[in-house]
Amino acid sequence: MSETTSISVASAWRLAATHALPVSIAIVVAVFAVAEPAFLTPDNLLGIVRQIALVGIMAAASTFVIMTGGVDLSVGPVLALAGLVAYFVLGAGYPVPVAVLAGLGIGLFIGLLNGAAIGFLDLPPIIVTLASLSIVRGAALIVGGPDLHSIRDQPIYSAIGTGSLAGIPLPVWIFAAVVLLLVFVQVRTPFGLLVAALGENERAARLSGHRTRITKMLVYGLSATGAALAGIVLSSQVHTASATYGPFGTELDVIAAIVVGGTSIMGGNGSVVRTVVGVLFLGVVSNGMNLLNVPIDVQLIAKGAIIVVALGLSARR
Amino acid sequence: MIPAAIREPVIVGRGLTQVYGAATVLDDVDIRIDPGEVRALIGSNGAGKSTLVKILTGAVRPTAGTVEVVGQQVHLGSPSEMIGRGVACIYQHSNLAPALSVLDNIFLGRNPTRRLGLVDRPRQRREAQALLARHGIQIDLDVPAGSLPAVKQKEVEILKALALDAKVLLMDEPTGWLASADVANLHATIRKLKGQGVGILYISHMLDEVFAICDTMTILRDGRVVAENAVADISRARAIELMIGRQLAAQTKEASEARVSRMTGSVRLKARGLARNGVFSGVDIDLNAGEILCITGLIGSKRTELVRAIFGCESLDAGSIEIDGAPIAVKSPSEAIAAGIGLVPEDRHRDGLMLGLSVSENLMMATLGRFRRGLLLDRGGMATAARRLIASLNVKPASETRQVRLLSGGNQQKVLLGKWLDGRPGILMLDEPTVGVDVGAKAEIYDILRAARDEGAAILVVSSDIEEVLAIGDRVGVMSAGRLVSVHPAKALTASSLVTMIGEAA
Repeated sequence: MSETTSISVASAWRLAATHALPVSIAIVVAVFAVAEPAFLTPDNLLGIVRQIALVGIMAAASTFVIMTGGVDLSVGPVLALAGLVAYFVLGAGYPVPVAVLAGLGIGLFIGLLNGAAIGFLDLPPIIVTLASLSIVRGAALIVGGPDLHSIRDQPIYSAIGTGSLAGIPLPVWIFAAVVLLLVFVQVRTPFGLLVAALGENERAARLSGHRTRITKMLVYGLSATGAALAGIVLSSQVHTASATYGPFGTELDVIAAIVVGGTSIMGGNGSVVRTVVGVLFLGVVSNGMNLLNVPIDVQLIAKGAIIVVALGLSARR
Repeated sequence: MIPAAIREPVIVGRGLTQVYGAATVLDDVDIRIDPGEVRALIGSNGAGKSTLVKILTGAVRPTAGTVEVVGQQVHLGSPSEMIGRGVACIYQHSNLAPALSVLDNIFLGRNPTRRLGLVDRPRQRREAQALLARHGIQIDLDVPAGSLPAVKQKEVEILKALALDAKVLLMDEPTGWLASADVANLHATIRKLKGQGVGILYISHMLDEVFAICDTMTILRDGRVVAENAVADISRARAIELMIGRQLAAQTKEASEARVSRMTGSVRLKARGLARNGVFSGVDIDLNAGEILCITGLIGSKRTELVRAIFGCESLDAGSIEIDGAPIAVKSPSEAIAAGIGLVPEDRHRDGLMLGLSVSENLMMATLGRFRRGLLLDRGGMATAARRLIASLNVKPASETRQVRLLSGGNQQKVLLGKWLDGRPGILMLDEPTVGVDVGAKAEIYDILRAARDEGAAILVVSSDIEEVLAIGDRVGVMSAGRLVSVHPAKALTASSLVTMIGEAA
């Protein structure tokens, strides 16, 4: 039977595709552990998690965008602008929570604008967020100029990026909290189901009576809010805000983590948990290559190759 | 039996067997097609038709068996080899590049070239014109393929196959999306091909067509050939019986004979003067609780557009709609659904289903609101409701967590239907509800619709299938060129009177 054919062939591929990533992580970890004993030390492992927290927060928040079949290229400048906004609000004498909310708010605002253009004007996500990438970077440069603004005498704000709880850095806790929240949203809320439905078949979702435009707007709002949160954590970590943070390539790291995790770039099939695994994998590979003194140019090529392989597998999933 | 072939058969399959794990889906099947023969391949979903077609196109390599094309053994499991030998397949869904011209589509991927690999367009045109002349097909070579009506697009696909010098043409549900007049056109083309000595395997759920166009038939059930007959030697009832087994056949017959004069309830949906500029106009509809109103007509009579507009997918330029006596203005599907209207669209893959989501998620997609608990979704409640629906709709396999992608066409259609059937008896509109669905599932879908009607649902069915309209309709409306020409009680109609009416309306 036709169904049986496709099931058996597809399920074999699916088996390979579903387990490829955990198996790859195990192999990569084993290789690095043998090649460089420093790799498996607790300090280094914690370092990996700390390094990936920022990309992790952004990738988790951007997963829903990819699941709807869209893409958000504007995360880098949003990260920069959110840090600057928080810096200026702090500088104006407002308390830390207000500064954080202002930073997140500017992210949410930009994201909703992106989403409105995509959802209500039916513009292609890649163009809208590409334009947004340029516009927001320009806005950040107007707000912050070319300089680094150092954030001094703000112990509470600085604690966001540099503090730790139970021996684990706060950014890692924040990453974990974001992931838990988003997994919950994905699995347990109507919004989460609608995101998958939209990516699977937008026409059918509309014919089922769902307001797909609003859902689209919200996923971009969520993605940019995640980027803004990463911007606040970063500015707190490095005690500075700058319009040049989140340089070109930030959006690629985010998309790479989502796609390597196995969320389909065509939309539909995907999950926040997969993105976390993708972030971990890329983090481990990058850390291991650093320890082994692999030159950065080779690292870039390796990263690109991994993305291609991951895409190949996810197409078979 | 088939008269002894004078010429060598164009294709012969022997002992074709396909085993997947523990399941034997094709068991020692023989098939043979002579030049100029149109052989029907029929059977329920799951009978093995698709697997057999896939073997003949080279998409799958069988576990056992051999295939000869024009006397030569072929290497199985290679699509390029089968095409090279002259075995072409025309699928139910179009495989054309819509933006390219007819000419470019015919030669897509193997254009005749001159030096430097440049396309030899004059030669391409000459060859295409020769092809048209030889097969007596008339078509404008320079218009974009996508701008042609569906039946002409099928002809372009046939031309594409003929340009390859096809000796065997596999046609998988070729008329699935065509209206009856277009079917006749396609059949005329097939007869011309017959005259050219092409052997055709015609896979269809439509027995009418099989009896109209085919010379011989191979009936598959559960992976085995249960009958090989000349079409002239077998009755329609016997063919159905062989396809689906004796018992189910009796049930189907009973159900269609059980139609009685029915008392219908109050008017649920009342439409007056519905119009959309340049599409349809002056459409009045009274749809009662407890009735099935079928709207039939030729393709292009704008039936789909009408139901889509009532559902709020497209805007109305004039007219009013009342539901239960209260006027409403529906501007979007969500408003239509809030007013108690459901729509099962014609193209279930494009507009209906989320193939990667589960049966449960698809079934509840239109009524998710019921499972909202504050900000949360009651997944347990969804699963329970889904299991109940799966049982009442007889969806197989009975698993609410299975991806809809993995279901057969008939079962997918039941899921699509089921999403409107849980809860209140509403107003349900269905556009070609049994296209591409096998006979067994068709009967089940009719039973589901009748049961919903008997519970008080107001059902409007758009259908080109005369048999279907007469089997389930309580009243039948005929639409033509954007107007609802007339509405008749179904019991006053016969197939021939209805066909005449459709013809006259157009």
